[in-house]
Amino acid sequence: MGKPADDFLLDVRGLSKHFGGIRAMSGVTFSIPQGSIISMIGPNGAGKSTFVNVVSGTHVPDAGEVHFKGEDITGLPGHVIAAKGIGRTFQLLELFDSLSVLENVMVGCHTRSRSGMLACGFSLLSALKEEKRIKEEAMESLAMVGLEGRAHDPIYRLPLGERKLVGIARALGMKPKLLMLDEPAGGLAAHEVEGLARLIHLLVERGLTLFIVEHNMPFVMSLSRRIIVLDEGMKIAEGPPEEVRANEEVIKAYLGEEVC
Amino acid sequence: MNGAPQSKLLWLVSIVAITAIPLVAGSYVVGVMCFIAIFGGLAVSMGLLLGQAGMFSLAHPVWFGLGGYVSGILALRGIAPPWLGSIIGAVFVGFVSYIIGAPLLRLKGYYLACATFGLLLIVQISLGQLGPLTGGHEGLMGIPPFSIGGFVLETDVHYYYLSWALCLACLWFLYNLMDSRMGRAIKSFSDSEVAAKSMGINVPQFKLKVFTLTAVMASLTGSVYTCYLRFAEPGIFGFPLQVQLMTMVIIGGGKTLYGPLLGGFVVMWLKELIHMYLGKVLPRMGAHVDALFFGVLIIVILIFMPGGLSGWLDRLLDLGRRTFGKTSG
Repeated sequence: MGKPADDFLLDVRGLSKHFGGIRAMSGVTFSIPQGSIISMIGPNGAGKSTFVNVVSGTHVPDAGEVHFKGEDITGLPGHVIAAKGIGRTFQLLELFDSLSVLENVMVGCHTRSRSGMLACGFSLLSALKEEKRIKEEAMESLAMVGLEGRAHDPIYRLPLGERKLVGIARALGMKPKLLMLDEPAGGLAAHEVEGLARLIHLLVERGLTLFIVEHNMPFVMSLSRRIIVLDEGMKIAEGPPEEVRANEEVIKAYLGEEVC
Repeated sequence: MNGAPQSKLLWLVSIVAITAIPLVAGSYVVGVMCFIAIFGGLAVSMGLLLGQAGMFSLAHPVWFGLGGYVSGILALRGIAPPWLGSIIGAVFVGFVSYIIGAPLLRLKGYYLACATFGLLLIVQISLGQLGPLTGGHEGLMGIPPFSIGGFVLETDVHYYYLSWALCLACLWFLYNLMDSRMGRAIKSFSDSEVAAKSMGINVPQFKLKVFTLTAVMASLTGSVYTCYLRFAEPGIFGFPLQVQLMTMVIIGGGKTLYGPLLGGFVVMWLKELIHMYLGKVLPRMGAHVDALFFGVLIIVILIFMPGGLSGWLDRLLDLGRRTFGKTSG
C-alpha cells in the first residue's frame, strides 16, 4: 500500500494455461491501472473466462506471473487471493441457492470477520456483535445495487437481472480493490444494462478498479478506458475503444462481424 | 432463525415437554425416549454433515463407538470416572478425526463414502481384534455408571435427562453455528465450492472443522450411550447403525437441523410399533421385519417428500405464512 512506484493494481506477464491439449491462454501480458475500467473482449472460446479463473486462483497457470499491488500472487489458492482484495462474479452466477439474498452478501463479508466455530456455536457476545456489523455492511452493499427491498427473499424468487446484481453485491461485501465481472450484461434487458452501467460508474467513483469480461459491444465500448482483445488464447489488440474498433486483427477475429 | 420469538417459544415448549415426560409417562416410554435422544442426537450431527455441508461420510458410528470405548475403558480400569472419560474420549476423537479427515476429505461424493466405509470396517474389526484392550468381540462388560460429585446416575430417568440435555445442547450449538458466518460458509461451499473459494473461504479447512466437530459430538453421545448400557461391543458401532442414522436423516430431512431428530423420533417409535403389532400378524418374519418396512418407507419418502418430514413441514409453514402472512405478522 502506498508505494508510489506501483501505479498498476494488477500486472499480468506471459500468463499461459492449457487444459490437456487445448491451449486456453498463452502469453497474455497487460496491466490494469488503479481506478479505471478495463475490459476484455473476444470471440467464444478466446480464453476470457480462463483468464478470470487464473487471476482469481480457481486455476493455477502453467506459466507467467500475476502481480497484485506489487505482490506476486501467482498460483496462490483462491481464498488467499480473495482475501488480498480481488473480488469476482461468475458467468453462471454461482450464487448460494440455499441462502437468502442478504445471506449471500453476508458470505461476501467472510474475509472481514473473525469469529471462530466455538464463539459462533456458543453465541458469544463478540460473535453476535460481529454478526450485527456484517449484516449492516451487507445491507449497505445491497443498497448500492438497489436490492435492499429483496434482502430476505430466497434466490430462486429473483429474476436473472437481479441475480446478477446479487453476485455483484456479494463481491462488494468483500470490499475488494479489484472487481472482476464475468459477463455482467449477458442476458439482461436494455434498461437493466443501463442500470448496470450506472452502477459500474458509481463503483469507480468510490475508488474501485473494474475488470469486465463482456460480449455486449456497445456496453463495453461506452464504459471502458482500455480494451484488451483475446483470440484463441492470445492477446491480439489492446488500446482505447476507438483504436480497438478500427483494428484489422480484431475485425478479422470477429470474421466480418461488425464491431459496433 | 434462533433469534425469532416463535422459535424461542418452540424451544421453551420442547424443553418443558421433555422435562415433563418422565413425570407422567411410564418406564417404557422413558426408555424409548432416551434412545431417541441418543440416536436422534447422533443423527442431528450426521444430518449436518450430509444435508448441509454435503459431505457423504459413512464413518459416523466410528466416532460414536470410539468415544464410548475410550470412556468405557478408562472407567473400567479406574483411570478416569465416566464424566472425565467422555471428555478425554471427545478430545481423543477430535484429534483422530482431524488427522484422518485431513487426507480423506480431499475426496468428494461417493469416493468419500467409499473411503469412510473402509474406515468404518477397519475400526470395527480393530475393536474386535484388540482383545486385551477392548475386550475383543465380547466387548466391555460392566462399565460403571455415570456419577457426578457423588450422585450416581442409575435409573432410566437419570439417563433420560442426561441424554436429552446433551442432545438439546448439541442442537442449540448447531443452531447458533448455522446462523453465523461459519454456518453460512458451510452452506455456501455445499452450494458452490468455486464461489465459496472466491469469497475467501478456505474450503478444505472448513470441511475438516465440520467433520471434527460432528465427530466430537458423536463421541460425547457414544460415551453416554455405553454408560447407559453399561456395555459396549464392536457390533453395535457398525454399518447397521449407519443405515439407521441415514434412515433417520432421510425420513426427517437433512436440510434442517431438527429434521434428523424428528426422524429419530419417528423411526424409533415406528420400530416399537412394528415389533409390537406386526410380530403378531407375521410371527415368522422375526426381528428383520422392520428393515423391510423402512426400506419401503425410505423409497416413498424420497419420491414424495425429498426434503423429508421437516422439509415438508417447513414448506407447509412457509405456505401458511404467505397466505395468512399479513394478519399473523
